[in-house]
Amino acid sequence: MTTPSNLLQRQAITLARHEIRRSLFSRRSLSVYLLVAMPLALMLLRALFMPGSMRADATHATTEFAEVFHFFLLRFVVFFANALIFVRLFRGEILEKSLHYTLLAPLHRTVLVLGKYLGGVLSATLILVITTMLTYVLVYLPHGAAGRQLMLSGAGIASLASYLVIVVLACFAYGALFMLAGLFFKNPMVPAIVFLGWETLTPFLPTFLKVLSFVHYLVSFAPVPVNLGAFALLAQPVPWWVALVALSVSSAALVFVASRVARRLEVTYSAD
Amino acid sequence: MTSLQSSDRIVFRDVSKFYGEVLGVNKVNLEVAPGLTGLVGPNGSGKSTLMHLMTGLLRPSRGEISVCGVSPDRPEQLFHLVGYCTQYDNFPNGSTGLSFLRFALALHGYSKHEADERAWAALARVGLSDAANRRIAGYSKGMRQRIKLAHAHCHDPRVLVLDEPLNGLDPMGRAEMIDLFTDLAKEGRHIIVSSHILHEVDVISDGVIMIHGGAIVAEGGIREVRGEITSHPIQVLIRCDQPHVVASRIFELEHIVEARIIERDGLLVRTRDAADFFTQFNRIVIDTGVVVETVAPADESVHAVYDYLIGEGQGGGSA
Repeated sequence: MTTPSNLLQRQAITLARHEIRRSLFSRRSLSVYLLVAMPLALMLLRALFMPGSMRADATHATTEFAEVFHFFLLRFVVFFANALIFVRLFRGEILEKSLHYTLLAPLHRTVLVLGKYLGGVLSATLILVITTMLTYVLVYLPHGAAGRQLMLSGAGIASLASYLVIVVLACFAYGALFMLAGLFFKNPMVPAIVFLGWETLTPFLPTFLKVLSFVHYLVSFAPVPVNLGAFALLAQPVPWWVALVALSVSSAALVFVASRVARRLEVTYSAD
Repeated sequence: MTSLQSSDRIVFRDVSKFYGEVLGVNKVNLEVAPGLTGLVGPNGSGKSTLMHLMTGLLRPSRGEISVCGVSPDRPEQLFHLVGYCTQYDNFPNGSTGLSFLRFALALHGYSKHEADERAWAALARVGLSDAANRRIAGYSKGMRQRIKLAHAHCHDPRVLVLDEPLNGLDPMGRAEMIDLFTDLAKEGRHIIVSSHILHEVDVISDGVIMIHGGAIVAEGGIREVRGEITSHPIQVLIRCDQPHVVASRIFELEHIVEARIIERDGLLVRTRDAADFFTQFNRIVIDTGVVVETVAPADESVHAVYDYLIGEGQGGGSA
């Protein structure tokens, strides 16, 4: 016999599986795959056309990957891939006019939100972790044996693990934000772009405003600091555990707000 | 007055719903007993709003609703009791008939094996077993209507809310579905069926609720309301390949007031006895072999009924 807690668990897992299928295998996931293909294509071109003099010197690869990660992967690919995956959790079904089928199930709305969020986090994490690992490999690979040695050394693996932690935490944090945006806004990509502007400006903001961005906490896990330019306002890096608590608490708070919004969710497709 | 917690009734207490400044339904008070209840009104009268309110897809701006003692605010309890076939003709992308039902049943907490059994049983009940593994996107309108019906009743609900469930079904399909609704109602369930086709509601319902402009204009036993309706001729528009053949046969019926050919394939019929008309019409179709494309009440007939009821029943009195 199914106990109430078993039922909630089963419902959340069913929803998560459904969302994983939608996020990874639907036609709409093509845009996410195109997005994550960009850094891979760029790194592949770099590998193919790298001059011989640069190939011989593997020492720059670590800094190069750090720059690619900070300025392209994290602030663009990870950000928009999360936006595309999480915004669709609710808004996609509203536009598809099929959300009512889920709302007609005996589901507590909090379970609905948690199940969808879990599915989104697992999908985004899978796609973005693989993308980050492949990009990492493509940055080091052209440098031959020296590159491989750097990549597979203890420090290299630890460095990759730190980047992957950033990606996973970014999926939790951006995911919660974009899921909520999908519940609130008819066109959630507009606030997403505004938020991207905010995240991009973070290095140039005073400390009391930096704390209102996710990227400020995410970069605390970065193994290699990057030069943010002459106009960046340097601040004391946040200790990793503070960053972890801040990201976890803000993600949980956003999911909680989303579940409150979902409780009052109505089906009025014509208005959407 | 029945309490809101009544375990066998659907109760609306002073319920209003506004979409911004637009009125959805206004001060609705209803108590629906088990059985087959027809919800009738023209397009835009508030039928779907009332059904959405009943199932929690909309929240009332004012008032309270209870479905067999459960508030629609508690979907985790409500949808163990309720199945709802909406008018929306959209489905999750890529779903097959079987996967669509399996997913719904999994959310109800059924194991994979139970969900499979129930999904196949529901598909068989609506005649879609052969199309179970085909994508719903490739289904005909009638098949999509059937899969929605299967979705609404696959978990064996006590209350079945059906918004225009016969739309898109061919005459045979309509007859089968009407039999299904009647059987389910006989089992002691609530079946709420909305339709703008009066004669269908008339044929299948134990009771009727008439709604117009967001207000309940008539509510009660089918005979009482029927009495009001038969005093005015009902207009039916038939589209078929030989309207003149149908017209000549229809003129033989006593209750026919008018039969007028419109365009090449249209026939507008005014009758004082819709039930007998539809019975005789089916015979005529079988006898003559006429190919019928559509049979639908003309808008004017619906308006006429409402004009009459509103004129007679100012103040929202029940028929």
